Amino acid sequence: MSLLDIIDLALRNLRQAKLRTFLTMLGVIIGVAAIVTMVSFGIGLQKNLLRDAFARIDIFTSLTIIGPGAEALLAMREGESGEPVPRLLDDNAIAELRAIPGVRYVQPQLSVESFVRFEGRTRRIGIGGAPTEVDFNPRFRDFIAGRHLRAGESDTVIVTERFLARLRQKVTGNRSRPAGGPFAAGPVRTDDERRREAETLIGQELTLLTLPQKGGETALFGIPLPGETGQDEEPDRFEKRNFRIVGVLKAADGIDFQPGGNLLAWLPFDEVRRLRDAQGDSLRQLGEMLAGETGYQNAELRVVDLAQVEPVRNELKRRSFNFFSLSNQLEDIQRVFLIVNASLALIGGLALLVASFGISNTMIMSIRERTREIGIMKAIGGADGEIMKIFFVEAGLIGFAGGLLGLFGGWAVDRIANLLANQWVARQAGQAIRQIEFFSIPWYLAAGAILFALVVSLIAAIYPARYAAKIDPIRALRYD
Amino acid sequence: MPILEAVNVVREYRMKAETVRALDGVTVGIETGEFVAILGTSGSGKSTLLNLFGGLDRPTTGEIRYDGQSLAPFSSRQMARYRLESVGMIFQSFNLIPTMTARENVALALAFAGETRRVRMEKAAGLLDRVGLSHRLDHLPSELSGGEQQRVSIARAIANHPRVLLADEPTGNLDSRRAGEILQLLAGMREQDGRTIVLVTHDQQLAERHADRTVRLRDGLVEEDAK
Repeated sequence: MSLLDIIDLALRNLRQAKLRTFLTMLGVIIGVAAIVTMVSFGIGLQKNLLRDAFARIDIFTSLTIIGPGAEALLAMREGESGEPVPRLLDDNAIAELRAIPGVRYVQPQLSVESFVRFEGRTRRIGIGGAPTEVDFNPRFRDFIAGRHLRAGESDTVIVTERFLARLRQKVTGNRSRPAGGPFAAGPVRTDDERRREAETLIGQELTLLTLPQKGGETALFGIPLPGETGQDEEPDRFEKRNFRIVGVLKAADGIDFQPGGNLLAWLPFDEVRRLRDAQGDSLRQLGEMLAGETGYQNAELRVVDLAQVEPVRNELKRRSFNFFSLSNQLEDIQRVFLIVNASLALIGGLALLVASFGISNTMIMSIRERTREIGIMKAIGGADGEIMKIFFVEAGLIGFAGGLLGLFGGWAVDRIANLLANQWVARQAGQAIRQIEFFSIPWYLAAGAILFALVVSLIAAIYPARYAAKIDPIRALRYD
Repeated sequence: MPILEAVNVVREYRMKAETVRALDGVTVGIETGEFVAILGTSGSGKSTLLNLFGGLDRPTTGEIRYDGQSLAPFSSRQMARYRLESVGMIFQSFNLIPTMTARENVALALAFAGETRRVRMEKAAGLLDRVGLSHRLDHLPSELSGGEQQRVSIARAIANHPRVLLADEPTGNLDSRRAGEILQLLAGMREQDGRTIVLVTHDQQLAERHADRTVRLRDGLVEEDAK
């Protein structure tokens, strides 16, 4: 008997008891839907965090080198033993780091807070120092308009998309970021609209305000701007300097985990360094007076690929640099997600386990009802194996169809839950937001769920199928 | 050489505490082309013997031989093959599958033989035509009379061209006129195809009218074997 004939027979049997077949299948449907919904949520979470938020910035090939604070340097000077004092993170150290094999680039992190005037509004924003060599730095990878700073430029600036929002945003209390939590990614706009708005910024100038230098020091931005001194109502109280916007960085979707994610504008690195030295930070200056040069607070080091992380880490340890990296957390994070997903799958799996008892029960009932039929089949030449196959195929069909419908059901639940969740987030944010996918059904989840339902059903059929195969035809045919 | 033989066949059934001996050393041979009636009262062991010939059961001791070959060493798979190809069985209660039409019931036997769907549906129609039911192909058993149902089961029994037909009280549920027709049909199977017929019945008249030879069983033993 061919497999097709067996499927035909099995289908005929299932059709004989449509309601019973459906109810049995319903157990499988619910079990698979539960698995799919649960696991797709876990995978969605993992994807949102690891792939979309972390992976875009290659966070696991990045290490943060931490310079010693003034306190640590003082402690060392005062002869306190204990933790070894990390290496000073000055320009020499940066050069040394750059020479380590496997290092792609080393970028000291330097930023200042300052007041910026644009389109008549003045706001306090964070400004970073950008390197001009940025071939591999994902921070400066995506420009929505314009270009990056070029070597030798000193009066150009790049801003992020959020710069405009910040400069146009009403100041309400201390709130410095738009409402809606980390997922709020601004009003929903098409990429085209975003690009057009960004392009209007190119070529415009923003004005950086600083306090005038005292005590006969050379004014950093001392050159009065032509045309402004006459009409400005605050002629000499501030140093002003104009920078021309040459590029607009694309805002990250979701959470910006990258170093410098809170900075809205980037000036050439040396300009920021000078700005910091001129503008000063009294605590930092005090620390330097006490402990000497403190160097950079930290620097971003990126290795060429994941395989280089370990050797570079060892090298950094040998040279007693203090550093932090997420790469060793990657495995932990992956493990946590594995456990989370497995637990979610287990909950769904329990539903399927219950369903498998339903399958066994249905099969046994159906076999008892069809004992005579099985006896007839044997009497006219049906082999035990063929009888067994019929029932395995019946269970397999229930499992497969239930798995397929369950997958569809899980997907439907995902869609509804996703819609509600997005509405909820939007309501919390008080504005329309970019849609977030909370669920993800990769092909292996879809295939795995159906396969699992199939396997569970077949296991549930082992006993009934063997029972059917062992039916004694004489006994089965004896009674009318 | 006989086509079917029982040699010193004993068949015991274990019933809770006691052991029931349905056959107590039966030796009987059935020649090719013979029409043999096995007679006996209820409990004489005649159905047990037929089931042993039909490969549905195995003797406790002794041997069943088909065409000179013992069935004892057969695996359950080989036994199924034997039931499929070598013997055809006909039962008192017809034993048709109630959810299948006449044609599908006959085709099922062909399906076990591995025929494709198209071939077996065609062959089944031919077989039903042979037993005079070409106008009842797509009827369910419940829509057929007893005589018609038995014809379907005969068509099914000969589907895979067995050399032997084993009929267990095939007319037990039929009136005498239908019974006569069924036996005519079986007799025709022998005359036209040279098949061997083994008929189990308790009706001596019927046996004597149609059979070449009657074997009478009593308490699991051959009491009389007469031509």
